[in-house]
Amino acid sequence: MIVPLAHVLILSALIFTMGMFCLLVWRRNIIMMLIGIEIMLNAVILAFVGGAAHWGTADGQVFALFIIAMTSAEVSLALALVVYLHRRKKSVNSDDYSTLQE
Amino acid sequence: MKLYLTLILMFPLLGAILNALVGMRLSRPLSQAIACGSVWASFACSAAAFFALQGTARTELFRWLSAFDLNAPVSLCFDSLSAVICLMVTFVSGMIHLYSTAYMAEDKDYVRFFMLLNLFVFAMLLLLLADSLPLLFLGWEGVGFCSYALIGFWYEDEANATAGRKAFIVTRVGDVAFGVAIFWMFRLFGTVSISEINLMGHLIPVCTVTVLGLLLLGGAIGKSAQMPLMVWLPDAMAGPTPVSALIHAATMVIAGVYLLGRFFPFIGISPVVPAVIACIGTATAFYAATCALAQCDLKRILAYSTMSQIGFMMLGVGSGAITAATFHLLVHAFFKALLFMGAGCVIAAMGHEQDIFKMGGLRRNLPRTFWPFLAGAICLAGLPLTGGFFSKDSILVAVYLKGGPLYSALFALAEFTALLTAIYTFRMVYVVFGGERREVHTVPRFMEITLLPLAMLALFGGIINLPEYLGRPGWLAGLLAPLTGIEGVKPGNGTEVILQIVAGAIALLGLAIAHTRYGGGRWRTGERGLPALECNAFFREGWYFDRLYRFLFIRPYDAVSRFLWAGVDEGVFNNSVDALGNVTGIAGRSLGKWTNGRVSLYLASFVGGAVLLLVYFAWIIIS
Repeated sequence: MIVPLAHVLILSALIFTMGMFCLLVWRRNIIMMLIGIEIMLNAVILAFVGGAAHWGTADGQVFALFIIAMTSAEVSLALALVVYLHRRKKSVNSDDYSTLQE
Repeated sequence: MKLYLTLILMFPLLGAILNALVGMRLSRPLSQAIACGSVWASFACSAAAFFALQGTARTELFRWLSAFDLNAPVSLCFDSLSAVICLMVTFVSGMIHLYSTAYMAEDKDYVRFFMLLNLFVFAMLLLLLADSLPLLFLGWEGVGFCSYALIGFWYEDEANATAGRKAFIVTRVGDVAFGVAIFWMFRLFGTVSISEINLMGHLIPVCTVTVLGLLLLGGAIGKSAQMPLMVWLPDAMAGPTPVSALIHAATMVIAGVYLLGRFFPFIGISPVVPAVIACIGTATAFYAATCALAQCDLKRILAYSTMSQIGFMMLGVGSGAITAATFHLLVHAFFKALLFMGAGCVIAAMGHEQDIFKMGGLRRNLPRTFWPFLAGAICLAGLPLTGGFFSKDSILVAVYLKGGPLYSALFALAEFTALLTAIYTFRMVYVVFGGERREVHTVPRFMEITLLPLAMLALFGGIINLPEYLGRPGWLAGLLAPLTGIEGVKPGNGTEVILQIVAGAIALLGLAIAHTRYGGGRWRTGERGLPALECNAFFREGWYFDRLYRFLFIRPYDAVSRFLWAGVDEGVFNNSVDALGNVTGIAGRSLGKWTNGRVSLYLASFVGGAVLLLVYFAWIIIS
């Protein structure tokens, strides 16, 4: 394998951190927060695939496939929710959706 | 005998239980009949037991307490001493029950009243008949409780309830000493039977007997209102008048004298204890007589005179003259119950006015009350040939024969007290009954009829123990001889006659003094309408003993309780718990603001927690 595992993990951690900052900072737009979550998931998939390549087993790749499937389902559901919430609140700011607490 | 003794106790107890449980549903005459009938039935059983008595009867009904070494059976002891007092108690109680039916005719709480009276008679008889100390203590506390409940019978008035509490608390002080004596005797002898303890007094050091005797004396002075625990008795007059007659004159207050008489074979071993008893008795007799001279309240005069007469009985016990003390105890019960019942008639006639200086002239209005009352008064004053004359004189003779500087001084003080007694008694008679006729309420005839038997017994009570120079030893002395043994020196006939002449002269002198000061309404011409003596607050307030105790005990206790309540309980415990609650509340409220429903904040918290965990793991791995 050309790329060492440590490099893959460092890249994965960097992407994960970026996605996390995107999630935390961009709270005015809930779609951007969803994108942040996707980026974090992709970082995790990358770590799984890197591990699978390193140990030469298929487990990590199977996990990667599962995560991709789960993510597509989650995104479709989340976007449906966003559309619904936008209709009710006329806003995509995440802080406006605090009615569950009241 | 066992049947009689059981029935003596059971009748008043059953009467009390019946009235307590179903009294409210019965008609008034039936409820009263139960109360009176049970006491008179008890009297009949006492009389039957008395005539069947030979020597001393002991019987054990059942085991009451039994644990390890302690064995407290319900054992009764019926000897001549408890027999005569039992007869007296049931008879006087019976008369007062009858009197109460008329006196309480207006009161709607009569069921509670008669229930408590019956319960009192039961407790008193238990006290008299008990052979084991725990049983005696049960009766002792039982009469204390009934006394408390009956002093505060009209509890709506705050003063009455306070007087009840005062009596209860002051007598408790003496009962603590009595309780300590019981425990100590059980440690020493391994038994709580009075008759066995009396036989074992010689087995222990004399100083231990002295201390035990003083502890018993402590109990006796609390119950019998002797110095220094006498402050409760005048206030106890807040109760209904039959209660004053029954409990605070005739029966309960003599329990202390009875206790000391019972234990005399034991405490007589120590030379100190009888001397202390005699000193306390004489001091109380003198103190109470001076206070009675200055009272304006009819019932308080009688209360102080009770205290004074019990002081005489204590003096008799302290001189070793148990027969004389018992004799005075019996006669005193008759004439003091009579005086109180007469006072009840007077107070009813005056429309619940108790100030003697607002009375006067009742001799013509209430002749049927006046004559019995006068009979009681001349007994109290000890005019010659009345019951009170013989009984008081037998005590004085015993003190005189005891000799020695201490007893001679006590004898002189006791004779002076007898003079004061005659003065205050006739002062009361002159002020209440002398003078002009006036308008009064009618008194129920039945109340006045019940006075007559007691007046007869008081006047002729001397017959039960006539002095020896009249031929043969007195009946009571012969009856009590097996218990008391030979009492000191027998008086020569000449000495006793001279002493009786002196006593009679003193009583007549008292009568003369009272006549010059108060006879024929002369007291009305005194300064501000009252003679100088009545203005003497020192005597009227009982030598300021109440204030002294307030200053010495009540105020410090009050201050300590106030500090413990406001300072320690409220200040430390309560406030610290409050502070803890406040801190928790503030913490909870501030943490609660965190859950504001904003997704971004939740996410940030989540990430922060994850970072913390990661830092922690990293720290563990590195170190």
